[in-house]
Amino acid sequence: MSIITDIVEIFRQSGFANLPWQNWVMLLVSFVLFYFAIEKKFEPLLLVPIAFGMLLVNVYPSIMADPLMMSSYTGEVVEGAHWYDAGVLRLLYAGVKSSVFPCLIFLGVGAMTDFGPLLANPSSLLLGAAAQLGIYVAFLVSIVSGLIPGFEGFTAQEAASIAIIGGADGPTAIYTTGKLAPQLLGPIAVAAYSYMALIPMIQPPIMRMLTTKKEREIKMTQLREVRKTERIVFPIVVTILVALIIPDAAPLVGMLMLGNLFRECGATERLSDTAQNALCNIVTIMLGVSVGATAEGTIFLSVKTLLIIFIGLIAFCFSTAGGVIFAKIMNVVSKGKINPLIGAAGVSAVPMAARVAQTEGRKYNPSNYLLMHAMGPNVAGVIGSAVAAGFLLMMFGK
Amino acid sequence: MIYFLSAYADGNITLRDALFVSIKGILIVMIILAVVAVMVQILSRIIRRIRKAAYERADRKAAKKAAEQTAQAKAEAATANASDEVELIGTDEKTAAVIMAIVSDESEIPLERLKFNSIKLVESEDKPI
Repeated sequence: MSIITDIVEIFRQSGFANLPWQNWVMLLVSFVLFYFAIEKKFEPLLLVPIAFGMLLVNVYPSIMADPLMMSSYTGEVVEGAHWYDAGVLRLLYAGVKSSVFPCLIFLGVGAMTDFGPLLANPSSLLLGAAAQLGIYVAFLVSIVSGLIPGFEGFTAQEAASIAIIGGADGPTAIYTTGKLAPQLLGPIAVAAYSYMALIPMIQPPIMRMLTTKKEREIKMTQLREVRKTERIVFPIVVTILVALIIPDAAPLVGMLMLGNLFRECGATERLSDTAQNALCNIVTIMLGVSVGATAEGTIFLSVKTLLIIFIGLIAFCFSTAGGVIFAKIMNVVSKGKINPLIGAAGVSAVPMAARVAQTEGRKYNPSNYLLMHAMGPNVAGVIGSAVAAGFLLMMFGK
Repeated sequence: MIYFLSAYADGNITLRDALFVSIKGILIVMIILAVVAVMVQILSRIIRRIRKAAYERADRKAAKKAAEQTAQAKAEAATANASDEVELIGTDEKTAAVIMAIVSDESEIPLERLKFNSIKLVESEDKPI
């Protein structure tokens, strides 16, 4: 009899009997993310660690324990606790909270990015700017959501953090939210990365809706060759320019451009290799798993989260529309030389958005190769979203 | 800007202000990226001009060097010709070599395909003053 009692007691103390329903729901969400990442191959390098962090924290919430209240999350302060008494993922989360991880990811992104298509066609920078439209539409929607009866609404800082989802840039979203509304980091990061992964499903209907068949068939002329000197001068000039105009964007843009300088200068191959491979992979694991671990069911599942996910989708749609509409205008001005599909790549999400433009273009003209043309607005979108984040930090930073 | 910063630090913002911030935000992003685009264009032109000038200088230098080498080769060949086979009357080998090189250059016939039998100094009536 005592064995049965022990088994019953073990069961009563186990997670099966004690986990609140919210944790079970989040476990299901993590399974969905695993499915998208592993089966559909949607951003698996990010979604797998995020989904696993989500899984871990929902079966064992103490993995994000915060006895020193190092973060703004709820928890009990334990007298005499040390930093190393915190949960393992809470310690890793310090890299997110301090903005070190997003900046290091940007270093790796810079080292991986070829700004050649942008330098060959600088007007694509305007597409990268127009595709930030969703950020500001989402900001307005977040503020307007305060009018919903029974909902207390978002603060200006929270609205700005939600809005940056429209930049379609995970590190930028984390960086901005970590500074403005750290309590929303979990839902915002999950929404940003999930929508980035779902870009091949979100963008095409909007691209088709806003363009004619004739426009989608436009073939663009080959880009000119870019000299090495231009490639070296570009990151230096952009850093100086952006840091002087919007100082709050300097950490992100600076690291992005440093990575790119490693790549282009021809004298730092080893650093470039480390930044785009080993360092980026290590940081991606730590960032992904610790961000995923912020999605603990009892905190994550709320009206605010649902609204964030909904507004994030609006942001993505408007950013795509902004880029496509501006590309249509440029097409008219250039007398039919620009395929408006490349405007959709202005949302950051490198290189997924550019690939979507390429795929859509080839559906209507199999001999059309839009990838390199779309890479211009695509990398411009990275700079654009960092500038937009800098602007929001300037406006709403405490 | 500092004033604006402190205006929203408490988290409260009216709908009108939110609209204003949104319009301002998209305009600022457009302006900054437009400035970057213009900078890229200007830099690209400057770099292309510098490169073009450098190429032209290098081309001129190379052409000059090639011309010198050709002239030297021709002169050497002419000297060899002049001393070996050509009958020189009233002129030295060096002057004969220069004459042969000029004839080759003007006629655009390689020196090795030309045959000089003799080079003779012709005394002119009207001597230079």
